[in-house]
Amino acid sequence: MTTMRKSKIVWLQGLTCNGNSHSFFNYPQMESFDTHFEVLYHPLLLGNITFEALLTDDTTFDFLILEGALSRDPLLLQKFNHPFEEVLDNLAKRAKHIICAGSCASFGGIFRLQDENKITGALFNGKQKGGYWDEKKNVINIPGCPLHPRWLVDTLLILQKENKISVDEYLRPKEIFSYLMHHGCLRNEYFEWKVDSKQFGEKEGCLFYVQGCQGPMTHSTCNKILWNGVSSKTRAGSPCLGCTEFDFPKKALYETHTNMSLPQTPFGVSKRAYYSLAGIAKSFKIERLERKLIDEDN
Amino acid sequence: MKITKEIIERIEGEATLELEWEEEKIRFAKIKFMNFRGIEQILKNRPIHDAIAITPRVCGICSSSHALAATLAIEDCFLQEEEPLHITQKAHDIREIVLNGEKIQNHIKWFYFSILPELKKMANVSFNDAFKDKEWLEAQQMVMESLKIVAIFSGQWPHGSFLMSGGVTCDPTLSDVFNAQNCLDSIIRFCERSLFGCPLDEFLSYDSAIQIMGSHSQLTSAIDVMMHFGFDSCGRSYDRFLALGSSYMYDGALKSVKTTVMGADVKYVHESLENTFFESQSSGYTYSKSALYRKNYFEVGPLARLMLSKDPLIRDLHRRYKDATLTRVVARLAECAHLLRRTSFLLKKLNLRESSFLPPKYNLNYCTCKGVGVVEASRGTLIHEISIKNGYISQYDIITPTVWNLGNGDRQNPSVAQKAIIGLDSIQKADFIFKSFDVCSVCTTQ
Repeated sequence: MTTMRKSKIVWLQGLTCNGNSHSFFNYPQMESFDTHFEVLYHPLLLGNITFEALLTDDTTFDFLILEGALSRDPLLLQKFNHPFEEVLDNLAKRAKHIICAGSCASFGGIFRLQDENKITGALFNGKQKGGYWDEKKNVINIPGCPLHPRWLVDTLLILQKENKISVDEYLRPKEIFSYLMHHGCLRNEYFEWKVDSKQFGEKEGCLFYVQGCQGPMTHSTCNKILWNGVSSKTRAGSPCLGCTEFDFPKKALYETHTNMSLPQTPFGVSKRAYYSLAGIAKSFKIERLERKLIDEDN
Repeated sequence: MKITKEIIERIEGEATLELEWEEEKIRFAKIKFMNFRGIEQILKNRPIHDAIAITPRVCGICSSSHALAATLAIEDCFLQEEEPLHITQKAHDIREIVLNGEKIQNHIKWFYFSILPELKKMANVSFNDAFKDKEWLEAQQMVMESLKIVAIFSGQWPHGSFLMSGGVTCDPTLSDVFNAQNCLDSIIRFCERSLFGCPLDEFLSYDSAIQIMGSHSQLTSAIDVMMHFGFDSCGRSYDRFLALGSSYMYDGALKSVKTTVMGADVKYVHESLENTFFESQSSGYTYSKSALYRKNYFEVGPLARLMLSKDPLIRDLHRRYKDATLTRVVARLAECAHLLRRTSFLLKKLNLRESSFLPPKYNLNYCTCKGVGVVEASRGTLIHEISIKNGYISQYDIITPTVWNLGNGDRQNPSVAQKAIIGLDSIQKADFIFKSFDVCSVCTTQ
């Protein structure tokens, strides 16, 4: 393998559940990761430098990975007796790229709901622009609750190679977040023919109409690259909770929100287009789709 | 009197210790958890079942335990309304498989990511970079295998979704089950080869501490270092154990004082806000509540579970070393062995012909009631209590295992971890003993 300069990484946590760290620990090719990157500091790993040394050092590094919601209020958040603000401002100045790992760092996530005035994402407070910082040029958001380990590492690799990455209006890498959770869902055929899931615990039926699935509105590659190499929420029979979007978590996550008994339309599809097609699809009864997928009787 | 402030790094979340010293010995320790997230508050006024999606976010390392505790709490509401749900054996088994997979991951991660590096540091064996350490890398692969088992049934880990009041949402195929079994087999082979140094069944037949001391295994090496530094005689606490959640290893909810095991009931649990910011902004010093059972502190977790189920190996260690750090560390790894065998059994017996889910016939949306869900999570007893009113959550209360073990008592009645630290002569020892409880500060300050 060719030798190259390794990009240096510092990982800092705000108000977090550690879920993004643990998701990162599921990255399957850690030895390859090690050929590209050097983790100077991660709160869960024994490394070369202590937290105190990290703060007093003034060397620069390539990536500051932020996990968790951010707050300037020392009553809500501090790091080992230091005000969080002091720590983050110090590290942010020394970082070439700032990567928000997960929905909390990106938009404020679940923990923002405790106090939306004091707890926020780095550049967004929910949908609102202006979060912990009003503006900053070098921030990338990789939302998800948690993020998929490949979303993080692939983004780091692209930035390392190209020094830039194309992002959408929420600063999410287009490579990943142009896809929808819906893409690759095993229940797609039921969605096409409007066969809804009769109840939880079955392989058959689409979870969009009753159980609250937000797959057609949620940007992610969950069903393209799968989780833990094997599955996804919809494959386990649970609705997509929309965790990569700025408004996660919506209320009533296991119920479909309807307007005059009609569900929301898929991302970028007009009501007229969607409801016309849905009406036609629903008027046909596709017998195969009414039966069990693995049909022992036929 | 000298007071020092110590930071505890490399635990789940972060904690600081404020130690009072007298004659070179720790006289009292304040355990501080400073970052607060307010999940109980966030759940208020949300629809009931949102608890199943939101509570896993209490903790990134034991999210399935929280989802299960929330589900059991909701199912208890049906029972309180005298409309109990029927949960199929298949759903029960899948819930246990997922919980076990998550626990196996926890125990392996704790030993290889936290304990082993600390012991290497103590023994002056170099350990600088996890990503280059062979043992760390191998353990990380095993962590992934155990979480693959979880994800096969729960869709993803962390923060999978597979639970609903009435059963589970997944409907696995036989090939999914074989896939999980193969993942489990690779973990068993790893543990036999590296961690235990003998076949799993042989390890599980042990009834004497001597049997785990002479082998070529990572467990034996860890024991050697711990003995060398005196952890066979320090880190002792009250010698009182509690497990309120169910387990195949024992019947019902149990407590013990030393080796005398008695029945217990979740209704005697009392939550204390003493020393917290919730009680007083000025005199409080932590966000961690404390949990007591009939006004007494009890240790929860793998050591408690194995003491209560009278596991011969752990009982023998206890006879020699009482509840010292050494016993606590070995107990966690011994539980890993039990979980591996149990999960293998569950995967083999899983009956896929049964239903995963039976929809509730009764609607909770029109009632006002309270339900309690108790789970034996990786670190011990986890309790969720949900109060509902007209279909919405009116109150939510969570007691996590770390609240049991690492709360703050006072000088007369210190908490489990405080008692284990008081009297020590070094911060290094205190730090390691602290870690032997597998601290999860994110759970604590939910």
